[in-house]
Amino acid sequence: MNSGSQSLIARLLRHPSGLVGLLLLLLVLGMALGAGYFYPSGPWSLSGSPRLWPGQNPALPLGTDSLGRDLAAGLFHGSRVSLAVGAAAAIFSVAIGTIIGGLSGYYGGWIDDVLMRLTDAMQTIPSFLSAIAIVGIVGPSLVTIIVAIAIVSWPMIARLVRAEFLRLRTYDFVQSCRIIGMSDLRIIFTQILPNCLAPIIVASSVLVATAIIVEASLSFLGLGDPNAMSWGTMLGNGRAALRTAWYMTAIPAAALVLTVLALNLLGDALNDVLNPRLKERS
Amino acid sequence: MKKQIFHIDRRGFIAGLASSAAFPAAIGSSVGSAFAQGQTPKHGGTLTTVAWPGTTYMNAAITTSGPESFLSPKFFDGLLGYDYGMVEKPALATSWSISEDGKRITFNLREGVKWHDGEPFTSKDVAFTFMEVIKVHHGRGRSLFADLETVETPDDLTAIFVLSRPAPAIMKALDGRESPILPAHIYEGTNIMENPANTNPIGTGAFKLASYERGVSIVMERNPDYWDGDKPYLDRIIVQYIPDASTRTAMLESGQADVVFLNFLPALDTLRLAESPDFEMVEEGYETSASNHQMDFNLDREIFKDARVRHAIAHAIDRQWIVDNVWHGFGVAGATPLHHEQRAFFTTEGVPSYPYDLAKAEALLDEAGYPRGANGVRFDLTIDPTPYGDESLIAAEYIREQLRQIGIRLTIRTQDYAVFIKRCWTDRDFDLCLYTAAMGADPTIGVQRFYWSKNFKPGVAFSNASNYSNPEVDELLEAAQVELDPEKRKEQFAKFQQIAMTDLPTLPVVHTTRATIAWRKVKDHTVDAVGALGNLANCWIEE
Repeated sequence: MNSGSQSLIARLLRHPSGLVGLLLLLLVLGMALGAGYFYPSGPWSLSGSPRLWPGQNPALPLGTDSLGRDLAAGLFHGSRVSLAVGAAAAIFSVAIGTIIGGLSGYYGGWIDDVLMRLTDAMQTIPSFLSAIAIVGIVGPSLVTIIVAIAIVSWPMIARLVRAEFLRLRTYDFVQSCRIIGMSDLRIIFTQILPNCLAPIIVASSVLVATAIIVEASLSFLGLGDPNAMSWGTMLGNGRAALRTAWYMTAIPAAALVLTVLALNLLGDALNDVLNPRLKERS
Repeated sequence: MKKQIFHIDRRGFIAGLASSAAFPAAIGSSVGSAFAQGQTPKHGGTLTTVAWPGTTYMNAAITTSGPESFLSPKFFDGLLGYDYGMVEKPALATSWSISEDGKRITFNLREGVKWHDGEPFTSKDVAFTFMEVIKVHHGRGRSLFADLETVETPDDLTAIFVLSRPAPAIMKALDGRESPILPAHIYEGTNIMENPANTNPIGTGAFKLASYERGVSIVMERNPDYWDGDKPYLDRIIVQYIPDASTRTAMLESGQADVVFLNFLPALDTLRLAESPDFEMVEEGYETSASNHQMDFNLDREIFKDARVRHAIAHAIDRQWIVDNVWHGFGVAGATPLHHEQRAFFTTEGVPSYPYDLAKAEALLDEAGYPRGANGVRFDLTIDPTPYGDESLIAAEYIREQLRQIGIRLTIRTQDYAVFIKRCWTDRDFDLCLYTAAMGADPTIGVQRFYWSKNFKPGVAFSNASNYSNPEVDELLEAAQVELDPEKRKEQFAKFQQIAMTDLPTLPVVHTTRATIAWRKVKDHTVDAVGALGNLANCWIEE
């Protein structure tokens, strides 16, 4: 852990799936950052005749959707929404999960009982269905979608963090902190938490991937933010033309698959690189 | 109709493959048309069709919802039928006459008609149906038959409508879909909404109910004692309820269904199948269910009080583009508050048309005192599309893009159906709202409600949501309600169309049309104005 970020990236780059994942993710990030530069008029502008197949018009290499919107512009601008939702939802649920798991693991006793029963209850609810319910009741907007995804995905992090805290709180360095009179909060945030960052980072990379998929599924079902172009919105728009113009669905689907794959590869690689016991293998 | 055609070869190949797998014998022999002139209908066979959603009841006298509208005319007859152009023709009534003052309509009823349980049909059934059922429980019937004071029954085969004032629109609402005649001996003295016959129909219609599995399927069988010669020709009609539109397409293509009515397939699938020689697409037979997709301006909003703003928005929206690309050609660009299938009254003569012209739209907005701000935006608006089907939302996306070009920043709001209805018609918390509404067999039934100031009724869905009020329009609409001379009514509605399009409280976006797609072996499924919403007694299958 304390070998520095420089060597962490170096080790990731030596890891085959880490390299591929990192490159793919950089590509998607590049798309998100460059969207405004390459397609300044935004993803909604009607830039060609509707239902152009890829390659039919060299100016619109990926073709157009059923309203004549450039699919390439949609892909670039959509990456912003998909990544932002993924990242924001992951940060939110990691924050909730870490606090609940941390308190639960550190204090134990009745706090642990209450918080873990709450977590159990949350885990019995099918997460995608409850995301649909939340968005359906509150109304679709990017913020509600992010909150809905965070609400349904924090229990996994909470259990992970609790297990780490349960293990670490018995260690000598924690005991010695107690003895010198360090406050609980300081022990939790400056001593234990840094030592269980590795599994949290690995889990959050998967969480980002899941959040992107959930957002896409919600948009596909028509529960996305109608004013934000995401890959899920593109999938939903293309669905009606699946038999006659499959490229409208295939193009955003490919982007989704590659991004999720990249995040999963990165997660695997991080797991290998950050786990000291597996260091020899990587 | 504009169609986008790509890869015909591959598509033709797939369609051919599907049909050859299902009907090896049908290949090459599928010549002829659904209108089988000169061909003699044959008895026998089962017609299978698919639909969604499932039905609650089996008669349309107590509800106006879609599934019942389709089923009811098979089990029940109306007093009249309608030929193309909504021309009245006999059904349970063989002849009819209207008194000079328009307040008495006499129907001579058909002799020897029996209910499915063997009881004779009489004028008592007619009186009971209108006075006790349709006037009380039918969504449109309540207002349409408001002036019907009583139905006199001097003998078993005569029914006389007595009206407090003339109501010519009634004559267009007497078919088995809009006003099915129910059996008095089954319903009298019972709680009508709870009567078990609502799901186990006893009618006079061409078909009887054979079996019903709620939400799954309905099987109807031929009524051998039907009054119309040797009709119906079909032995059985099966309706299967299939929620997924793509599955419905697959069922039609594989021969598990013979015909699909009422646009139950995705538009692009219907167009794809229509190109195949095995299928035939018919766009007629939906005159009684003509619908418009329209956009209401909330005239309570300060910004819309200026007609120039409304006109500018109309100029910025290319309605033909919406027809071609959102409705895939199933419609006509919105031109007047009426529907083009209301053939007797629809006119564009002297009606302002607001052709697509962005420069003009910008000029109008400048003139109205809304210059572009530093960021190029003049003002913000929201639009609420109907959360039913995809078209409304896609149309809203197009409108947002068009308004952006003239400096209006439009935000789309989506919500579930109940919230949408409450927002637009109860809370009135909207700027623009976009929805589909049935225009009715007569403008008095379907169109008047959106423009008549006395129908500004917060809390009532599909009333005058824009809060439009023009005494001249009120006068014309009220005069047309009671005018018996068809020529004068035509003039009144012509004038109404001119004024309403000049004031533009509501922008008609698309006059939608519907299509039936059927295997060519299915003949005569659409023979008059009511088409699939009739009794299908003329339909037969060529083997």
